[in-house]
Amino acid sequence: MTSSPVKAQAAGTDGRAAMKQFTRALGAAIVILVVWRVTTVGLAEGYPASFWISQALNGLVLGGVYALVALGYTLVYGILFMINFAHGEVMMIGGITGFFALQFAQARGWMEGPWPVVVVALLLIMFIGMAASVLIGVTLERLAYRPLRQAPRLVPLISAIGASLFLQYSVLLIFGVSPHSYRKPALISGGLRLGDVFIPYTGAIIFVISILLMLALYFIIQRTKLGRAMRAVAEDRSTASLMGVDVNAVIVVTFMLGSALAGAAGVMLGFHNTVVKFNSGFIPGLKAFTAAVLGGIGNIPGAMFGALILGLIEAIGPSALGIPTEYKDVIAFTLLVLILIFRPTGLFGEVLSEKRA
Amino acid sequence: MTALLSIQHVTKVFGGLTAVDNVDLEIAERSITSLIGPNGAGKTTLFNCLTGLHRPEVGEILFNGSSLIGLRPDEITERGVARTYQNIRLFGRMTALENVLVGQHLRLQSSHWSAVLRTSRQQEEERAAREFGRELLDFVGLRGREEVVSTNLPYGDQRLLEVARALGSRPLLLLLDEPAAGMNPSETERMMDLVHRLRDEKGVTVFLIEHDMKVVMSISESVAVLDYGEKIAEGTPEEVRANERVIEAYLGPEVAVEEAAGNAVD
Amino acid sequence: MPLESATRAVRTGLIAFAFLSYLILIGIPGRIGGPALPVLALIAALFFWLILRRESIGQFRQVSGVGQDSSEGKPGWEIGPQAGANGSRVRELLPSRFGTPLVLKGLVSGVTTGLLVAIVSGIFATAMGNGVAIQPVLDKIVPLNIAALIGVSPGQIAQSDVSFIRFLVQVLLFAGAGILAALVAAAGRNEPAQNALTGRLSAHLSGPTIRSGGRFAGIALPFVLLVYIAWLGLPGVTAFGTNEGTVRLLLTLIATGSGLFALRLCRPGREKLVVAVLLGLGVVTMPFILDQFQNSVMGLVFIFVMMGLGLNIVVGYAGLLDLGYVAFFAIGAYTYAFLSAPFSSPYISSLLILLGISPESPLLGYWMALPVAMLTAAVGGVLLGIPVLRLRGDYLAIVTLGFGEIIRLFMLNLGELTNGPRGILEISQPALFGLTPVDVTFGLLSSQGWIFLLALVSSALVAFIANRLNGSRLGRAWFAMQEDEDVAEATGVHLVRTKLLAFAIGATFAGMAGQLYAARQINIFPENFSLFVSIDALALIIVGGIGSPAGIVLGALALKGLPEVLRGVDEYRIVTFAALLVIMMIVRPDGILPSPRRRIQLADPEEAVGDSDQETGEALADGDGGKEEDQ
Repeated sequence: MTSSPVKAQAAGTDGRAAMKQFTRALGAAIVILVVWRVTTVGLAEGYPASFWISQALNGLVLGGVYALVALGYTLVYGILFMINFAHGEVMMIGGITGFFALQFAQARGWMEGPWPVVVVALLLIMFIGMAASVLIGVTLERLAYRPLRQAPRLVPLISAIGASLFLQYSVLLIFGVSPHSYRKPALISGGLRLGDVFIPYTGAIIFVISILLMLALYFIIQRTKLGRAMRAVAEDRSTASLMGVDVNAVIVVTFMLGSALAGAAGVMLGFHNTVVKFNSGFIPGLKAFTAAVLGGIGNIPGAMFGALILGLIEAIGPSALGIPTEYKDVIAFTLLVLILIFRPTGLFGEVLSEKRA
Repeated sequence: MTALLSIQHVTKVFGGLTAVDNVDLEIAERSITSLIGPNGAGKTTLFNCLTGLHRPEVGEILFNGSSLIGLRPDEITERGVARTYQNIRLFGRMTALENVLVGQHLRLQSSHWSAVLRTSRQQEEERAAREFGRELLDFVGLRGREEVVSTNLPYGDQRLLEVARALGSRPLLLLLDEPAAGMNPSETERMMDLVHRLRDEKGVTVFLIEHDMKVVMSISESVAVLDYGEKIAEGTPEEVRANERVIEAYLGPEVAVEEAAGNAVD
Repeated sequence: MPLESATRAVRTGLIAFAFLSYLILIGIPGRIGGPALPVLALIAALFFWLILRRESIGQFRQVSGVGQDSSEGKPGWEIGPQAGANGSRVRELLPSRFGTPLVLKGLVSGVTTGLLVAIVSGIFATAMGNGVAIQPVLDKIVPLNIAALIGVSPGQIAQSDVSFIRFLVQVLLFAGAGILAALVAAAGRNEPAQNALTGRLSAHLSGPTIRSGGRFAGIALPFVLLVYIAWLGLPGVTAFGTNEGTVRLLLTLIATGSGLFALRLCRPGREKLVVAVLLGLGVVTMPFILDQFQNSVMGLVFIFVMMGLGLNIVVGYAGLLDLGYVAFFAIGAYTYAFLSAPFSSPYISSLLILLGISPESPLLGYWMALPVAMLTAAVGGVLLGIPVLRLRGDYLAIVTLGFGEIIRLFMLNLGELTNGPRGILEISQPALFGLTPVDVTFGLLSSQGWIFLLALVSSALVAFIANRLNGSRLGRAWFAMQEDEDVAEATGVHLVRTKLLAFAIGATFAGMAGQLYAARQINIFPENFSLFVSIDALALIIVGGIGSPAGIVLGALALKGLPEVLRGVDEYRIVTFAALLVIMMIVRPDGILPSPRRRIQLADPEEAVGDSDQETGEALADGDGGKEEDQ
């Protein structure tokens, strides 16, 4: 039994049969509504197949970025059982820093140089963004979360909300309200045309880099000594520490890994959306959290697939349902609510749910 | 005596594990029945099925003639089944009296509006509830501890307070999950006395899980034994004590044979 | 000086510099102006003091025998309570067996910070002198800011006319800050280690040692302030020769807050009742004596008191962390707007025409609309509550946050219904028997004063209802649910009903607050209902003390009132809140004026054990909390 005041378990007990029936009916109603919308409105519009394919590709790119951020949520949740509410801001800091690095590079003409120079510079920009995110992520852990590690669950959550606002509005005060726009170098501004489908280079690059980073993370967690320590701490913190694992160090490394991925995502999202500003991490952060929940929070492959699915739904959803694209955020949040109601452990299962103290 | 509680073919499966396997059990009104068995035998799971925390896959649970299956825990409490917990689960930041008042929650009728307006009926009901709460605390032996925050109570008193909270709902059947666990001999003595008084003075039927054989043998009128989810024996304490399968379950097959031999010599 | 101490001191200096550079980057020196440098040095001194105090207490323990391996000081130098305080203080300042003296440590830290500040400001000044534009990148790095940091005029920066001495002064100032901090830390060494300030404060507030004179003064303070506020309203009277409007507002905030403390000082019984009634009368006169601006601020404060009280039911009593609370505020506001503003959506207009009602005139007055707004919000509360019934704490927070955003997105995008971002304009004012209150009171009560008065009365009503509910069996069920949901259910609490009641009642109060807010604003827009309303409401109950109505009033005064007084620093409002939220969670998770009974809401149950006993006295002294809100 935990001492936490909010211990309310999601998995309803058998006695709540009426609730279950209600939610089932609600679920059926939603499915019918969606199917009806899609068949009568979305498909009736008569978009060509190429339209759907480009939307889907767009969704995959977005999903790749979300996946990188979602991994940060999942990693931290797996180890500390807390939602790092400020993770979206960690990503935004990466994006902002990447913007200044890009400006610096552009001012020196590196972006117009021969392609190896441009590639190296772009990679460097991403690494700088990642480094900034890591710095912020680790500071956050040290100042806002570590003192609260023994506190009841709500306390670190509120602290995280505070940290999130603090980061957003500090960036606002330091760098101003106006959005900073990324100027893509000529090398990656074009795209590939396959029949009617247009694939922008940035999109392809973002997707590839996301996949590579995810593979790298998977390798670290599954194959290295560090990864084993992380898994041990996620399994049982006190036993791990008795076995000689430095729990603090593992937690710091977890934040570093999560923040590095978020930083990379921030820079790539900057290239994708072309602008960054103080609050540009907030909504993607929520989306990535949704993705993590969709895949089953604490579950690393789950977060990756959850994010790709979310990206696809977000890209295709508005057209398929025949509603304005302004509502794409509504779709994501509604999805979050629905998952939590119908399948709180996510599509792929909440790996660590049993041990959640 | 009629059966107050009748458990019929109750089966509960977790994943691949059958925690409670086709258990039949009848509990007579105003009796004291013990449920024993080795660790992991499914005793607490059976309690959880009775109180609506789990829903058994198969079987029927009749209480006072009507089924408890599919009811919510609070509905089951309303019917007159209350329980305590193996690992004490009090409302830690409430005082002892407040814990008992929460126990009385569903026996209080006044509407929330009347609470806002403090109508005389609501005031009267609150006063009576407090009075009854004090009575119950007195009954379990916690007189004078009404205003102590429950986490500050000594361990034994916390167990007593759980009983008082359960009594708040005026139950017909009280399920005690290891009431004497972790208690010293004198506290155990007090608890056993309380169990007797519950039945004799309050007319409550008691169904308890207990590991301490001395307690089981001295207070129970009948004993049921679970092993691997199955009921392997039932009867008076003496009958159960002599039952071979019970000895086997507790001590392992080889020892059991010797024990049985020894018993025969006695 | 041993290397280890030196590196630690330098590190302290670096951290102080990191913090100061944050302040510089967000433009604090420019905001402060002339005295910027000393203020920053004082902030640094405060930081050094905190660090040195901790270190010196650690050393103290080491020397007095508790320590394990004292690398520098040899154990055995006893500092018992009998050791002369002065003697030991003096010796600690000298190089001794204590290890590195504090002063040296402070000096090193201070010089480190000072040097870095001097270098950085020098670089910025030089760059600006050479015409490099830094501001487009770092928004607040303007000559004004850097000039204030160096202590010169912006013009001198532009002409790179800054003498070297200026930078030396910076270094010296910070070095002085370090020494000052060390002296104070050494002097305070005999204080009990933990929480000297708060401990003493709470002893003053509730302990038996307090002199009756002090108690009397505490009770009298709000009344004195009220009289002074009234006097300030007379023509020709100024406060300190400054803008009396703001001073008066500040005094009003202080008077209200000190009223809450005064009530805590009262003995329960008749004394408390009398003071409560007098305070209530005093506060009710405020709307009549304040001017339009002051009234509008106080109105907002008390609208947020209502919000806080409502959210407190959900978060504080039932333990459900709801971050989408703004949704119900918005529902209340928009419901009233639909009913009383000339703009009606085509949907509503056609509906009205269908019903044979002219869509031109407001449909319902304030009072008739009140139950509608409350009911709509309550229904919203139940509808949003049902799906989240099964969710655990932190999931609940995120989902409700999502709900809040969905509602806002709908307000923004459902143009036909809500007029989109253009908002709904000319919402009618609450009238009194068809007359405006300004007419009724012959101009004594301004329109904003009327809103303030309504907010006051409504908050008192809400506090009263919340308090009564909390003391009833429903309140116990909420608390039980918060403690252990499963056991509460097995004990007989109907979870669905109890949770939904919390959502619905909380939402109803938010709906009331929303309606009054719409009337106060006259024109409402979707941006009025952003996530920050939820965050503000949550922040104010956390800062004030979750579960405590008095704390909520205090929280609202501090978080919604003070920023209006400090108009200039409004842009720093959110960062300050945010930092405060984090710090509060670390230092004092149960708020400034915690609820006597439930102060441990967010704190560890383990800590609660120790606290609850000493709180019993305060709980008794608090008596009937309901009266507290009558003021």
